[in-house]
Amino acid sequence: MSIINRLKSLFSEDKDKEEKNVADEKSDDVGAKPSNLDDAIVSGTKTSVPISDVLKKDEDAASEVTFKKDLSSIEEQRVEEDLPIIEEDEPSNDEEIPKVEEEESEVEEVQEVETSEIEEEVPVEESLDVEENTSSDEEDVNTDDEEESAEKADDEEKQNEDKKRDNMTLLTDKELLTDANRDPEFTAEFIDAGIETVKHCFQCGTCGGGCPSGRRTPYKVRQIVRKCLLGLKEEVITDDALWMCTTCYTCQERCPRSVKIVEIIKKARNIAAHAGYMAKPHKMTGVFVINTGHGVPINDATKALRTKIGLSEVPATTHADAAALEEVQKLCKLTAFDELIGYDEATGGLKE
Amino acid sequence: MEIAYFLGCIMPNRYPGIEKATRILFDALDIELKDMEGASCCPAPGVFGSFDEETWATIAARNLTLAEDIGADILTECNGCFGSLFEANHMLKEDEDKRAKINANLAEIGREFKGTTNVKHLAQILRDDVGFEKISSLIEKPLDLNVAVHYGCHFLKPTAEIGIEDQAENPSILDDLVELTGAKSIDYKDKMMCCGAGGGVRARDLDVTASYTKEKLDHMSAAGVDAIVDVCPFCHMQFDQGQTEVNERYGTDFAIPVFHLAQLYGLAMGLSAEELTLDAQKIDAAPALAKALGENAK
Repeated sequence: MSIINRLKSLFSEDKDKEEKNVADEKSDDVGAKPSNLDDAIVSGTKTSVPISDVLKKDEDAASEVTFKKDLSSIEEQRVEEDLPIIEEDEPSNDEEIPKVEEEESEVEEVQEVETSEIEEEVPVEESLDVEENTSSDEEDVNTDDEEESAEKADDEEKQNEDKKRDNMTLLTDKELLTDANRDPEFTAEFIDAGIETVKHCFQCGTCGGGCPSGRRTPYKVRQIVRKCLLGLKEEVITDDALWMCTTCYTCQERCPRSVKIVEIIKKARNIAAHAGYMAKPHKMTGVFVINTGHGVPINDATKALRTKIGLSEVPATTHADAAALEEVQKLCKLTAFDELIGYDEATGGLKE
Repeated sequence: MEIAYFLGCIMPNRYPGIEKATRILFDALDIELKDMEGASCCPAPGVFGSFDEETWATIAARNLTLAEDIGADILTECNGCFGSLFEANHMLKEDEDKRAKINANLAEIGREFKGTTNVKHLAQILRDDVGFEKISSLIEKPLDLNVAVHYGCHFLKPTAEIGIEDQAENPSILDDLVELTGAKSIDYKDKMMCCGAGGGVRARDLDVTASYTKEKLDHMSAAGVDAIVDVCPFCHMQFDQGQTEVNERYGTDFAIPVFHLAQLYGLAMGLSAEELTLDAQKIDAAPALAKALGENAK
């Protein structure tokens, strides 16, 4: 989907919301309300920025830009850079827009501006390559006669540069994330599950700093929270490291933004599990619960031990109550947990 | 006073001495333990909570209704069970939509979550409902023991919701309860760190879990403790069985016995190692018991 189409769809979806925002701004045209600010941050990191929203909130713009500086991808920086330009082009937008029809036409204008900006700025994404090409072109012009040798020298120079770069500690990862990598519905799942605080993360890294799993595994909790907010679904759910969290809550306790980090991890795991990313030992724990009601069922040694110290041979749980076990089994069917883990009723094991 | 006794899985099915000690302790405290007959796994947050929130909440809610039927608050002495049941109870009390959804499931088995019970941890009941004075009066054999207190994770955290302590960086509830027995709680590095078993990690990657446990054991060992005291059968299993797994993997010779708080009280009340099934644990408790009980050692 192109950015333009996406913007269009966003505008049509957000029309009602915008009307509301207009009213809000009228009643409170000075204050940058925290909730609005949060919304702006999220939309800025989602598919695209609801431009009319930003236009009407130029007093928020400065703080927004500050918040967004930590965004790392060029793609996002480009979108941000557009914002002040549009504002300069359309100063009249600062005024309140009284009617919906008028607003619509304004929006279309903005879209056009946005489109041209994007077209013009497309090369920015490839700025590195462009700069290199340009410089070599210039050299070609200057060294008309010795074109070939100059090219060779140029190549060698490039190689040398590459070698030098290899010895540096700069990160050389040039992979860019684009909208195509993002799944806004993935982010929405966290919000819908009541974990709005995923939006509050400003990537300070306190979580990772105290994470015992991060000290010994590839689990990077800060990065996962970021990816969940950006909607990088595949990256999150296919990563085995997602399952290296012991849910110790150290991150959540220390988070200066009170982000419900463990909830985010568990939600991401839920989504991963429903997409088929489940470890067999975990499925087996589910099998034990369906078969016995217990994740760790009793064994003969413990039965003997219990009897020896004067306890009932089996505890008064589902182990001693067939009807109670049936209830648990019925609930697991009702929620389709049996299907989720691939439980085979005939064998009492896994289907695979 | 009555309380609904939630057993969970690992305690009754692996370390029954903890259950035995708890029954004797509460008898002495004149608190009646009402068995939650037909209770199941809490269910385990690492699998059910991580796989499917609805299933997790539904099975947890079923357990909660058993206590509601009894008409009492719940006692659990496993951090995992406490975390799961507390969280589910809290969520279903607060969130009407989720409650309606879960109750629709429970209706199929003729049950309904009403939100009339509270989930409490053993240590919380002992501090808040029983009081230190009454516990002290039960101590017959003061224990000469230096212990590493292990809080575990799902006992105090998330502090914002649970509220047993207002912070989990430097809590005191467990140290205070341990020291009532005469044992000394010895500070050690990264005391609040996880044992490594939770969140489904033990089932999925034993090497990672063992690596956590080794770090904890290194620090406990450096502090020169005689024993570990915990309040969670899963942490308990991790320090007991997991200690042998660490020794196998790292060629170490850790031999620090593990007592659940209920077992520690059992010892201080004069119960034998056999009654507390300490003799069936992987790590030999005899040397620590000999020191703890001094001349009284058998």
